[in-house]
Amino acid sequence: MKSPYEILGVSKTASADDIRSAYRKLAKKLHPDLNPGDKKAEERFKEVSTANDLLSDNEKRAKFDAGVIDAAGNEKPQQQRQYYRNYAGPNAARGASNPNYESASAFSDFEGMDDILAQIYAQQAQARRNAKGADVRYHLNIPFLDAVTGATQRLNLPDGTTIDVKIPAGIETGRIIRLKGKGQASQGAGGPGDALVEVSVLAHPQFIRVGDDLLLELPVSIKEAALGGSVKVPTATGAVMLNIPAGSNAGTQLRLKGKGVAGRGDQMVKLRIVLPNRMDQQLNDFLKSWTPAAEDDPRKEFQS
Amino acid sequence: MILKRTEFLARTHIDEQTLETWLSEQWLVPLQETEAEAFTDADIARAQLIHELNHELGVNEAGISVALHLLDQLHGLRRAVYELRQGRPRG
Repeated sequence: MKSPYEILGVSKTASADDIRSAYRKLAKKLHPDLNPGDKKAEERFKEVSTANDLLSDNEKRAKFDAGVIDAAGNEKPQQQRQYYRNYAGPNAARGASNPNYESASAFSDFEGMDDILAQIYAQQAQARRNAKGADVRYHLNIPFLDAVTGATQRLNLPDGTTIDVKIPAGIETGRIIRLKGKGQASQGAGGPGDALVEVSVLAHPQFIRVGDDLLLELPVSIKEAALGGSVKVPTATGAVMLNIPAGSNAGTQLRLKGKGVAGRGDQMVKLRIVLPNRMDQQLNDFLKSWTPAAEDDPRKEFQS
Repeated sequence: MILKRTEFLARTHIDEQTLETWLSEQWLVPLQETEAEAFTDADIARAQLIHELNHELGVNEAGISVALHLLDQLHGLRRAVYELRQGRPRG
């Protein structure tokens, strides 16, 4: 903290007259009411006032010189001071000002002040017209597999035109595709805004997406599960043949490498064993005559 | 807040005679409310400013008249600039 002598710019041996004249010189420059638009003036004026309060009081000055009080000088509780500038001009609180004081005589000699104002408003309006056109938001529902592999979708605009929206592979719900220059035109020279297309990926009856992997539940017959075999499996990029090992249980997961989202992940195939719609006699006869091995209890985990 | 003359004198710690001088110099021009003066917060703050110009800054009577006259114009200008910046309501 600066000493009060430094703040007022006087020496430690300055007389009371020196101090008063130094204070007045600064105060005339810094008084907030003589600087209605300068926020810093109030801060500096306070500093100068506090320094003057201290140095203009012989007793306080002696105490400060002796180091008994600090430069803030036993700060008396300071009330929040309301300056006149808070009640005048555009700062004036509603109802607290007095219209008798404010004067327009400083510019009443400007002929055609209204014309000047009109010209300025017109310039501001032109600047607004020359701003970039507004961005326009659209919503687009994308089929599940298009989102996985990427596609181009046509978007019909309210004005009858269409935009082709390129959908990057692997896009997820909630993502926004920005189409530069496809928004509203500027009213002036600002160039058009952008089209912002928010994407929703629709669900698929068979596929589920888990990160970059795809999950598919594959129904297989008892025979395919027990004896193994090659079956046709749909993937995002077309059907492939999948080899089911003999003795595959329900819930077994098989991996199709590189058949996940955008070629990044894998496709997981989970087997679901399905009985024939109608049990045929042959299978019934076999099962009745068949005795499973004693240790092969499917519920052995349940036994305590 | 609207104050009567007696309340105003008490709040500003100035005496009746000083107030009469300030009124005749038109340093203070309170609003008129049914035959009586109605002092506002603006008048209180202005009275404090006059007091400080006079007693703390050593400005004499002529100087105060000049300062207040210029200040009133400055605030009028500030309001005009402010309203200009806000722009007119559209339409």
